[in-house]
Amino acid sequence: MTALSRTWGRLTTPGKVVFTLLPILVVLTVGLVVAIVIFGGPIWDVVLANLGVVRFVAAATIILVITIPIAFLNIFLEMKVIAFMNLRIGPDRVGPWGTLLSVVHGLKVLMKEDFTPTGADSVVFTWAPVVTYAAAVMTVLVLPFAPGLYGQDFNIGLLYFFAMGGLGVVGLLMGGWSSFNKYSLLGGLRSAAQIISYEIPLTLSAVGLLILAGTMSLNTIVQQQSGWFTDWYVFRQPLGFVIFFIAATAEGNRTPFDLTEADSEIVAGFATEYSGMRFGFFFFAEYVNVFILSALTVVLFLGGWNAPFPFPHLAVNLDPGGLGIPLLFLLTLGPAIATIVLAAPFYLARSSMRWWVALIIGFALFNVLTVGLILTWGFISFSWVAGLLWFLVKTFTFVFVFVWMRATLPRVRIDQLMGFAWKWLLPAALLNLFVTAAAVVVVGS
Amino acid sequence: MDRALKARLEARFGDVLSGPLRQRHDETEIRIAARDVPDVLRALHDEPAFEFQLLADLAGVDTGDHMQVVYHLWSSTSSDWLRVIADDLSREAPRAPSVTFLWTGAEWLEREAYDMFGIRFEGNRDLRRIFMPPDYTSFPLRKDFFLPDDAARSPGAGSRHMERSAPPSAVPAGTVRRSKA
Amino acid sequence: MATTPHQHASADDPRVLLDDHMGLYEPIPPYPPRTEREQEFYTLGDGEMFLNAGPHHLATHGVLRVVMKLDGERIVDVDPVLGYLHRGVEKLCENADFHQTIAYMDPLEYVASLFCEWPAVMAYEKLLDVEVPRRAEYIRVLTGELNRVSSHLLAMGFHALDLGGITPILYSFIERDEIVEMLAAITGQRMLFNYFRIGGVNGDLNHDFMSRLGDWMSRAGQQVAANAALLNENEIFVQRNRGVGTMDRVTAIKHCWTGPNLRASGVPFDLRRAHPYSVYPELDFDIPTRAEGDSLARYLLRIDEVKQSLRIIDQCLHQMPDGPVMAKLPRLLRPRPGRAFAAIEGPRGEYGIYAVSDGTDQPFRFRIHDPSFLHLQSFTTLAPGGLIADWMTLNASLDPIMGGIDK
Repeated sequence: MTALSRTWGRLTTPGKVVFTLLPILVVLTVGLVVAIVIFGGPIWDVVLANLGVVRFVAAATIILVITIPIAFLNIFLEMKVIAFMNLRIGPDRVGPWGTLLSVVHGLKVLMKEDFTPTGADSVVFTWAPVVTYAAAVMTVLVLPFAPGLYGQDFNIGLLYFFAMGGLGVVGLLMGGWSSFNKYSLLGGLRSAAQIISYEIPLTLSAVGLLILAGTMSLNTIVQQQSGWFTDWYVFRQPLGFVIFFIAATAEGNRTPFDLTEADSEIVAGFATEYSGMRFGFFFFAEYVNVFILSALTVVLFLGGWNAPFPFPHLAVNLDPGGLGIPLLFLLTLGPAIATIVLAAPFYLARSSMRWWVALIIGFALFNVLTVGLILTWGFISFSWVAGLLWFLVKTFTFVFVFVWMRATLPRVRIDQLMGFAWKWLLPAALLNLFVTAAAVVVVGS
Repeated sequence: MDRALKARLEARFGDVLSGPLRQRHDETEIRIAARDVPDVLRALHDEPAFEFQLLADLAGVDTGDHMQVVYHLWSSTSSDWLRVIADDLSREAPRAPSVTFLWTGAEWLEREAYDMFGIRFEGNRDLRRIFMPPDYTSFPLRKDFFLPDDAARSPGAGSRHMERSAPPSAVPAGTVRRSKA
Repeated sequence: MATTPHQHASADDPRVLLDDHMGLYEPIPPYPPRTEREQEFYTLGDGEMFLNAGPHHLATHGVLRVVMKLDGERIVDVDPVLGYLHRGVEKLCENADFHQTIAYMDPLEYVASLFCEWPAVMAYEKLLDVEVPRRAEYIRVLTGELNRVSSHLLAMGFHALDLGGITPILYSFIERDEIVEMLAAITGQRMLFNYFRIGGVNGDLNHDFMSRLGDWMSRAGQQVAANAALLNENEIFVQRNRGVGTMDRVTAIKHCWTGPNLRASGVPFDLRRAHPYSVYPELDFDIPTRAEGDSLARYLLRIDEVKQSLRIIDQCLHQMPDGPVMAKLPRLLRPRPGRAFAAIEGPRGEYGIYAVSDGTDQPFRFRIHDPSFLHLQSFTTLAPGGLIADWMTLNASLDPIMGGIDK
């Protein structure tokens, strides 16, 4: 009992809250499942009647979960790409080519001490990373990943995106202010000044596009860009695209605009006093931001899920159920036979190879082939698989560009940063807006 | 050795030199009293015959009998280093005029000499310790400050010798290394 | 003297923690100001705050602490606080054998160690009236110039790193590593070489060194130019550096500047020509200068110097005579009482040694003059008026090394 109370006493306040909530959550979930089993019909009716709400909740949960692998992937990409650009090897120990290192990083921040400095405003200090991370995650909700694959299709999707994206700075400012550290304070104030300044050209550069599109729904904007790649908005709004990308770099606090965490000047900016998972949330939020800003650029200007050319849509309608009993034989014997067939050339060609090594190679090859076949089938049969693939390819190209800039460019100074936003980007965005509006009026009339 | 410089120096400063003018290798050395330092250095710095405009070094020296401040100067008019030794500062309360009016950069050099020898440079606006902590009391490069392995000979006889400040007169006779520097 | 508002009897006082934790975090010293300058600095004006950078900070190039008085992001005044790396090398040398002191010289200038050994051995050679063999002098110049190149490359890389560019430092390290490896082939050490000896050098050139050097020299110029092109044409880098920390030539001389920083202000002062030593009079090289005197000029000047150093290395290899590399000297050195001053042109400026002998086997007074000390001092003049980020640029372009500053 004493051991239990001592353990309880060592928990921080948020820890106590979590440990109280967890059993309640388990009990409620079990109860829900039991209730669905017992009173299946009425509950199902309620769910179907409120499909919009259910879809929203499901999408929010899924999106919260998928941001973690996205952040992991971005972190790994950053480590590896910058390493190659620096002529280093980069991570190569955990997992194949070090791919699991970012997972280990995630576990590491979970296990680190969660430290609140003396004099910090602990409530604000605790909530700051939550606000930043939540703001980043909420924006994913309106991103159209593929046809039919999106959280919610608002008709004010873009406005919602900018609103939520602008909320992230509140968390940075909270963290910077509450840390009781002058470096944090400087970082927080810098982030406020920077993000508010760059919101304006970012939004204004998209307004020209909105005039052309006539809608704020991201789904509709993507659908308008289908066809050949010349239909993409980047060719009708080149200046807007450039301004948008520069402003997005500043919004995401990426080099050369990473003044909020300029490590050689103000140590780590707003995150100086953060450790453990609270720092992890800031860190994750940054990489999720990189992803969503790249995704938004793709959605607005580069056709989103659309292929760069009209993709021949082959609806190959395979019906495995039609095979009947032979399907059973195929499922049981197929893998074994395929493995042996694939292993045979290796075993026969190299006399030094043991039979079981050849079998392992054969099995691995069989798996690769099967997954490839299934993916190809999905790519051909379902438009959302193809769409997701195109979307991810384009998005990660932009993530790569962000990483590339980080490896190449030094950091700008705060006065240059602000001067660039107000003296160059803002007039350019206004010019873009006026030219677009004038062109629409002239062509339209 | 720059014989012409020797002649020029003797002609110009013959009356203020407190010791013989020596020349060896590529160095010319004059000795003056501490009170003459501003005038002599200003003349060396400004007069077209000398134009020693670069202060190559400023060092304090404890000879065991007295303190010195040693200036090394460079000029395009001579192929020699000019060493100006401000001699015969008392070890009890060494004082010397500051040369920051000629070289702003001498400020920290004088701070260092103060920190290590306790030489007070009059006219230096910021004469505080530079390497040692502010509550430190000794002057480490003085010859009566011994390294820990020689602590038995030190005035504090090994008991917190680093923090102990003893007036130079309290040092036992025969323990301090002396030289005709 | 008046006292500052935040005052405590001692920093060890436990009540400081309990009563007023604000005082613990302020860099205001817990004792009355010692000079008027200190009082002026530690008195806050309207809307100003102190920022304590260091002793452990990412851009201080060592354990330097800089207290900055800020008005927003703008620096009002700075007060560098030294002594966190103070080892008392001068005192140690005064209690060591003449040969042992050379080993103490290396960690002073841990980026270009040979340049601290050099004035020491030169001063001793003057005390002892030793003639150094010509081959040894050529080897000194050769290794010294190699070390200068490696030091300048590192300075260029760290300059970019302080400005937020992470790649140039790694490219610089590739070249530096080549140089360090070849120096390790003759000295046995990668960083603190301890190679120069009184009356010569520790060992003759060997095959490993020569093959590495020939291999590297065949592509050094290209590599350095390629690395420099990464930054020199970068608009962000140029804008960050231009006009930051501008020093005019008169003030630079008043501040006792030497080396590349002085030459970037337009003063063609290089001890290799201004006060020739070793075999530099026999070698043909230029002294690059720049008129602007800002951080960009200091950065570009270092690249120009690297090119000149490569020229010198080339000439050394062609003109190197045969012969011994050490003068005949007794094991135990007891120079006649006397004084000697020797100064050389290092990658950061004039390294000087003033050695006094009293006839024993230990130097009586051993004074080390380090150029970084004087360059760092100019922070108080150059940093005010700039932004916090300008201080990083300034620090990187002045390129101080804390090992030599704190001695």
